[in-house]
Amino acid sequence: MATRFRTVQGGARQSNNETYFDYSLLFTVLFLIGFGLMMIYSSSSYKANLDYDDSAYFLKKQLQAAVLGIAGMIIVSRIPYHFWEKLAVPAYIVSAALIPLVLTPLGYSSHGARRWIRILGISLQPAEVAKLGMVIFLACLVCKMGRRIRSTKGLIALMIPPGVIAVMVWKITQNMSSAIIILGIAMLMIFVASPDYKRFIVMAILGISGAALIVFAIVKVAESPELTEKLGFRGLRILAWLNPEAYADDKGFQTLQALYAIGSGGIFGKGLGESIQKLGFLPEAQNDMIFSIICEELGLFGAVAVILLFLLLIWRCMIIANNAPDLFGALLVVGVMGHLAIQVILNIAVCTSVIPNTGISLPFISYGGSSVMFLLVEIGIVLNVGRSIRLKDL
Amino acid sequence: MSNKNKTYNRKKVVVLFFFCAVTFFLLFVRLIDLMIFQSGYYTDKSTQLHERERSIKAARGRILDRNGIVLADNKTVCTISVIHSQIEDKEAVISFLSRKLELSEDFVRKRVEKYSSMERIRSNVPKELGDEIREADLPGVKVDEDYKRYYPYDALASKVLGFTGGDNQGIIGLEVIYDEVLSGEEGTILTLTDAAGIELEAASEHRKEPVPGNDLVISMDYNIQSYATQLAKQVMATKEADRVSLIVMNPQNGEIMAMVDVPEFNLNEPYTLTPEYEALRAKEEARKQAAKEAKAARNAGEESAEETEPEKPKSEEELRQEKLNGMWRNGCINDTYEPGSTFKVITAAAALETGCVTLSDTFSCPGFIVVDDRRIRCHKVGGHGAEDFTKGICNSCNPVFVTLGLRVGADRYYDCLKQFGLLERTGVDLPGEAGTIMHQKDAIGNVELATMSFGQSFQITPLQLATTVSSLVNGGRRITPHLAVKAVDEKGTQVESFEKQSGRQIVSEETSETMQMLLEKVVSEGGGSKAQIEGYSIGGKTATSQTLPRGSGRYIASFVGFSPADDPEVLALVVIHSPQGTYYGGQIAAPVIRQLFENVLPYLEK
Repeated sequence: MATRFRTVQGGARQSNNETYFDYSLLFTVLFLIGFGLMMIYSSSSYKANLDYDDSAYFLKKQLQAAVLGIAGMIIVSRIPYHFWEKLAVPAYIVSAALIPLVLTPLGYSSHGARRWIRILGISLQPAEVAKLGMVIFLACLVCKMGRRIRSTKGLIALMIPPGVIAVMVWKITQNMSSAIIILGIAMLMIFVASPDYKRFIVMAILGISGAALIVFAIVKVAESPELTEKLGFRGLRILAWLNPEAYADDKGFQTLQALYAIGSGGIFGKGLGESIQKLGFLPEAQNDMIFSIICEELGLFGAVAVILLFLLLIWRCMIIANNAPDLFGALLVVGVMGHLAIQVILNIAVCTSVIPNTGISLPFISYGGSSVMFLLVEIGIVLNVGRSIRLKDL
Repeated sequence: MSNKNKTYNRKKVVVLFFFCAVTFFLLFVRLIDLMIFQSGYYTDKSTQLHERERSIKAARGRILDRNGIVLADNKTVCTISVIHSQIEDKEAVISFLSRKLELSEDFVRKRVEKYSSMERIRSNVPKELGDEIREADLPGVKVDEDYKRYYPYDALASKVLGFTGGDNQGIIGLEVIYDEVLSGEEGTILTLTDAAGIELEAASEHRKEPVPGNDLVISMDYNIQSYATQLAKQVMATKEADRVSLIVMNPQNGEIMAMVDVPEFNLNEPYTLTPEYEALRAKEEARKQAAKEAKAARNAGEESAEETEPEKPKSEEELRQEKLNGMWRNGCINDTYEPGSTFKVITAAAALETGCVTLSDTFSCPGFIVVDDRRIRCHKVGGHGAEDFTKGICNSCNPVFVTLGLRVGADRYYDCLKQFGLLERTGVDLPGEAGTIMHQKDAIGNVELATMSFGQSFQITPLQLATTVSSLVNGGRRITPHLAVKAVDEKGTQVESFEKQSGRQIVSEETSETMQMLLEKVVSEGGGSKAQIEGYSIGGKTATSQTLPRGSGRYIASFVGFSPADDPEVLALVVIHSPQGTYYGGQIAAPVIRQLFENVLPYLEK
């Protein structure tokens, strides 16, 4: 259960203005960060030692990002969230403008994908910036639109700005998973903002059947070998997802190695630090696949504990969103909540091979500086929205 | 603030939360499936992936002579390797290893710098040196112990014992035939490794201990073999012969006590061509060349219709392998020769067994005998005159044996050869035994029969002759020559016996006794007199045959002898190929057996 502390500000005289601070959210996040650092060290020390001669290489880099992120979170949690309303348009423009920068000399590639830029010695992923920018802009836009959101026209108008960003991320940085996440966050925010259900159910059904159709088409194509070659890596990933063992040497390799890690963990796991799959077998063990290593080392119990922590996080977001003083605050929180939920679900789904392999990191735990910093800033916003709740309104 | 969010917004956030919660629950179900129900499957799969199987060589069984002297042993040797990722001071490793192993720095550097899980620098390093390197304790340098076959007496019985290859498998000789007995079972170590194949130190090992091979006890006697080798070498040197084969066996049960075929080779360096063999090879090449030139000279005048096809030039590698194969050949069993007069023993036995001759029969030798249109000469130009059968065999008189052969007739003679076991291989427990080269039964005319009677126009192996003579004088039972006696485990307990059952009766005991008596006479009164030893009764038969093709001017002198004549315990056959100077078997081969028996007979009595 979450605890609600009364922060005493100026004594009992001002008890009408007593506000709320969500410590359970804060501590859950801090715990996840700490747990993430531990798991990053466990899963990366072998590779770090081999590649950089320093077993704590990844740990140190992540620790820096986490410290920076926590500082950012503290600062942001003290900035009244309505400040962001003014920044909504610049945030959107900056988000959009940063994306093409990856193609300029400022950008650099890693893991064969050009998705990062380096400004003033800090490297960051424009896609991460875009996620935050999108949340702020869309929350602001919804508030501006008011009742117009109820019309189909309004809905479509709302979807254009996130759509543009998503297409840019997908096409320019070749990062389909981030594009999907951005679209997903936008959809969830619009879903909450709109009183309607029908349209969303129709969209969900269309989306799912569309995905099923694509999978079906790819499987059909794969029946003739010469056409399989033309599928490209996304098509092959889908085939590998359906039958990882048939593509064990190529696209199915990572999926299969993740399954080995998860399956061999069993109920109680091999014990912290005892993973073997991290010893060069599972690519990106400290990154997208860190959940598999958690399963291998800590077993089903560890995995469930991690899932429950995320559920707790999302639940706290729900409480804050529903008690937020206004729609803008609520939508900001819903955006962050959607961001967290989508990434957690997709990441675990990839690790357990429920969906085809795509690079999505596990919030707060996976290695990745940009990701953890921006997530912490987002939590800072949520905390500030929480702060604005007056206890008498609860 | 009064504009609290509308109810539907709040409801939708709750819907969103429950939607997430349900999805999380579904993922949880998937995890239960993977981590409980499919856990076994994936655990097995990942274990297969992580475990590396490393084999542990089993110690190969030794080969012991009849008295327990070790003829083939194992020596612990070391293999030095480097593990790239564990090397700390590369230069130190390179200079240390190149110094200790006497290898060039470049050679070591190439291996040290190669990125691989484990790179072998040198194998077959003596144990002491390996220990020294291990004690230096350089990170990344690995010393593994291993067994290597070791033959304490180098060239002794090289063609019989054989040697083993890199994987510890037999290449020739007994090592091949008894490979299963000797090799044992490899053990395995299962270790967990990382993706680069490097063993994890903390991980526990699954170990399956190797089962060492069994020792093989053979009937060979180290002392007899050594002495026989010495005699063979001696006669080869004094007579400048090409090769000398010498077999000593027990005619009662077929146990081979010595088998020599000089020049032998060093079993510890089987891939090094010996100077003796190179010299022999050069001699043979020169002869071949001379024969070719002679033929060319003969054909010079005529229009040679058939161009002699030039032989395809052999590659260095092929040539070397051919030479090695030649060096490893065991002339006692792998090659055949025309036995000549020693074969008269067989003709005599056939004639006696078929009742075509009695000891009192008399013959007359004018120095030749006419068969059909052929005049077959006796080795004594003037002829032996009138002689009885005993005298005939003592004189080794060709007309007498031609007469016997013709009396027996082609059919019966052929049947006798078959019955004596001459047409099959002896079944000796050595690889590559050559078969008998014999006329087809219906192709044997009188002339063929006549030449066969005194041991020409067909070929057998020396061992076949020794075995057949043994069988004729041991009471008439066909024996199977063999070396292996038994296999024993580490503790010396017998695990397998290779004793051979005495075979079928091939001649009657009376015939056998008559043969003993006749052959004893050959030594005491006839052509084998040079094999006499005072105080011992010895039977035997000499032979001088021509090296094929005829007309080469080269001969094969041989002698087969046994003792005691009336109940043979030991039989020996010596075959001297291409001796220079005197080439008569009675002159040069019989003394070899005498010298052998002079030492062996008292030795065996002990």
